[in-house]
This record gives sequence, C-alpha cells and structure tokens, in this order.
Amino acid sequence: MKFEIDATVRRRSGFVLEARFSCDAESLGLVGPSGSGKSTLLDAVAGIERGSRVVLNGVDCSEVPLARRNIGYLTQDALLFPHLSVRRNLSYSPRAGPVEAVARTLRIDHLLDRMPRHLSGGERRRAALARAIASRPRLLLLDEPFSGLDETRRRDAMSLLSEIRRTFQLPLVIVSHWADEIIGLTDWAVRLEEGRVVAAGPSASLLRGGEVQVDNYLKGHVTGPGRLDVGGVELVAAIPEGVGGDVRVAVYAHDILLGTREPRDLSARNVIPVTVLSAPQGGETVLLEVGPPPLRVLVTREATESLGLKSGVRAFAVLKATSFVYLGAA
Amino acid sequence: MSSIALSIMVGLVATIASLPPAVAVAWYLERSKLPGRELVQTLVMLPLVLPPVVVGYLLLRIFSPRGFLGEFLEVAGMPVAFHWLGAVVAAAVVGFPLFVLMVAQAMKAVDCRYETVSRVLGRSAWGTFWRVTLPLSWPGILSGAAIAFARGLGEFGATIVLAGRIPGETETIPLRIYAELDSPGGEARIAGPIAASILLCLACVVGARLLDRWYRKRLELDR
Repeated sequence: MKFEIDATVRRRSGFVLEARFSCDAESLGLVGPSGSGKSTLLDAVAGIERGSRVVLNGVDCSEVPLARRNIGYLTQDALLFPHLSVRRNLSYSPRAGPVEAVARTLRIDHLLDRMPRHLSGGERRRAALARAIASRPRLLLLDEPFSGLDETRRRDAMSLLSEIRRTFQLPLVIVSHWADEIIGLTDWAVRLEEGRVVAAGPSASLLRGGEVQVDNYLKGHVTGPGRLDVGGVELVAAIPEGVGGDVRVAVYAHDILLGTREPRDLSARNVIPVTVLSAPQGGETVLLEVGPPPLRVLVTREATESLGLKSGVRAFAVLKATSFVYLGAA
Repeated sequence: MSSIALSIMVGLVATIASLPPAVAVAWYLERSKLPGRELVQTLVMLPLVLPPVVVGYLLLRIFSPRGFLGEFLEVAGMPVAFHWLGAVVAAAVVGFPLFVLMVAQAMKAVDCRYETVSRVLGRSAWGTFWRVTLPLSWPGILSGAAIAFARGLGEFGATIVLAGRIPGETETIPLRIYAELDSPGGEARIAGPIAASILLCLACVVGARLLDRWYRKRLELDR
C-alpha cells in the first residue's frame, strides 16, 4: 500500500504532531518514545483527528468522514461493547459479513456466544481484533497490540498477526515499543520524536541493533516425538510430549546459522539445505530470507559479504532443536 | 378515580411523555457540539428553581383556552387547563430538569471511546447513539424516569394552578391531602394517601437503585 501522510494535530495540552512521510510498504511500523505522537498519528490516519492529509494507494481520504473511511483500528484497550455478545460485537459493522471464518482464524469461534465480561484479557483482545478484521477494512491500525503479554503469549500473538496479514491480505500499521515486533511484522518503519518524523526506512535497517529479536513462525505437522514436517522439510524441534496434529512453532532469526558448505558433526539437530531468496542492502545487520521452509535469518553485513550470501545462492541453515518454541495447536 | 390511582396515572403518562425529549436534551447537552448548550441548560433547569406556583401560572398562560397553545389544543379536543392532562403537563414540566440531569449524568459516564469505535466500524452518529450510547445509558435513564415519576407524584403548586382541584379528575394525592387538611375531620382520611405517597416514592428510589446495580453488574461497567 502506498502511504502519503501529512498529519497536523494540535492537542489542548500543547502537544503538536507534524508528521509528514510517504512510502510504499505492505505494512508500516511506527516507533518512538512514549509521548512522541504515535497513537495520535494513528488517530489522524483513522480520521478520529481531523485536518490531516491521508492518501492511501493514491486515493485521498482526508475529507472522508470517520464512519466511511473503512479503516480498522485496534486500540490498546479492547473496547468490546459490553452489552453485546462476542458474535454481535464481530458483526457490529454494517460492512461485516459472516463472522465464523474470522473467529476461527483468531481462535475465538468457541467464544462467539459469550458476553465480553466472561472473556480473559487475551480473549478480549483477540475478539476486538476479529471485530476490526470482520469490518473488512482496507487498512488495519494496531496500537501496541502486544503490550502486557508475557514472552510466549507475545510471540504467539505475533504469529497470529503474521498469519492474519497473509490470510486476509491486509496492510497493517503497527505502533510498538518493541523493535522485534516492528521488524517481524512490517517492512517499512517511521520513527517519531516529539511529534515529528526523525527517520524512516526499511524496518530491518532502521531498527537494527543487538536487542532486536526477529521471529519466524512456522506451521507444521507432528510426524513423531519431537519431529515436525514443515512444508515437506523434516525438522527436529523441542515440542512437548504427547502433542500431535498440526502445530505452530516460533524460532528467532538470530538463532539460525548459515553456512555455504554442509557442516558436519554438530550438536544442532537441523541442517537444512536452503536457497537465499532475498538479501537487502544497507545496514550493519542484514535480515536474509531463505527457504524452504521460509525463514528469516539475522546475520551481520560482514558475514554476508565474506560468505557471498546473495539472492539465489545455495546455503545450509543450522537450527538447534531447542531453539524452537512451541506456540500451540494450529 | 381515586387520588392514588389518578396520581399513578398522571405520573406514568408524564414520565413516558418526558422520556424522548429528556434523552434528546441530555444527548444535546452532553455529546453534541452544536452551539447554545449553556442557554438550553439554563432554560431546562428553570422549573427546578422557579416557585412551582409561578411555573403553574406560566403554563396556564400557555395552555388556557386563550393561550397560544391552549386555543389550538382546545380545538383539537385535547383541553389541558383544568383537565387531567393539565396535571400531566405540570408533573412533566416540574420533573423534567431532574430527568435530564440524571440522563445526562448517565451519558457522561459512558466511555466516549465506545462511540468512537462504533464510528470507526462504520456506524453513523445516529446508529452509534441507538446501538451504543442509549443501551449503555439505560441505568441512568431508568433511574431518571423513576425520580421524575416520584417528583410528579408530589407535584402540588403547578398542578393546582394549571389543573385546579377537581375530585376524580385532577385531584392527585398532594391536592387531596391539602383539601382534607382544610376540611373538618379530614385528618382521619389522609392516612391512606400519605402511606401511598411514601410507599410509591420509596419503591421508585429503591427500584431505581436496584435496576442500576443489576444493569451495572450485567455490563460490569464499574470495572
């Protein structure tokens, strides 16, 4: 989606947002310290704050009123209507169609007839996300969608969002304090400070650094104890005993090693022949895409250059069985 | 009709008739961005501070057969002055400020963000009011209705000026008590109306409180 944003918002508190940028990205990340104007910028894009120029895919929707802008918005609080069941929350939008498919994808199909007060915090959030998706938006805005979740739940939620982006072909704008969330889910990022854009660029190069944790989400079928079939590739992964059927696992991009010759006599249980699919330019750290199975691998610029890792090169990906985190049934 | 039955009927009709305008005015005061809100608020609150007899006199000027609305209503077959409808009008006007205040307070308590979410999801301002604001304000609206009803039951000054004291037609509980106290041996006959007054008002206040608690618990609004 092509974004052309020129947002000007003046708050009574004296805060002024003057953010101008344009980019062509599947999904966009907004980063910056607290109070830098990230949520205000989302409000401007959604149309809650008026007076900003918002052009999406060449269509100027600056004058389109809130109700007709057709943008999904998941705020930090779920804000499910407390007087309506989950099903009626999901079908609330006049644009909403049948809600069962969305509910299934978000794993809340068993909660459709419950009232919001009977849901846990995580379930409420998933239901609110389902409600936003069910309204068939052309763009989905997410304000800190994973705040307050523990590490495993956060990785689970990220895998879910990654799946949603793919399944519904939905461009996202994500506000987050976490670089790994932005890199994991978006391809372009904008950094805000004191209401102004101070940097913009590909997410992986804008947010590089030692603390970045980019996740890979894989779906596979359990073929035996600790064994998974992921798209025809057999993997050894530390998954709980007794788990069977289709499962979801996650593995960090920095936990994967790459070599151009097949390594032998390693303790790591997975040595997979892969092809480098893309190798972005620029930055000290590079996020390579390899496959199959589709994996993102975080390596230094120096390593890519000395090994000659560029698009089309055949290599071996090395993964420890214990690097996999079991997220749950698929 | 007994004064108790008449009072209940007058109170109910006045409350039901006041409900839509009270909700509309409360919404205008609490949620609309249109100008003139302070002026409207002052006008709405007038019956609360004016002496009820003055309110009754002003209503009489409007609704008497020579008043600008009274003439028209007389022709339409709906006389108000010195008619049970006069008692309804008096009860509605005097109870209106309390009704509006309570509904406005209830709307103020509704988190505006629910309304924003509704608009973002594609509902119009009217659709949002109907589907979100109104259902979430129900506890306050019901409490307001109960209080307006109780206020209507006790209405005296405006009623006696506008509707007069016609036994069986406009003689509500307070007018009956007043008349009995003024007649020899009447004190013995007011126990019933007084007990009815106290019980009805208690039922209104307690009922409103219980309804409010039940609804809040149902929605977990206090969370």
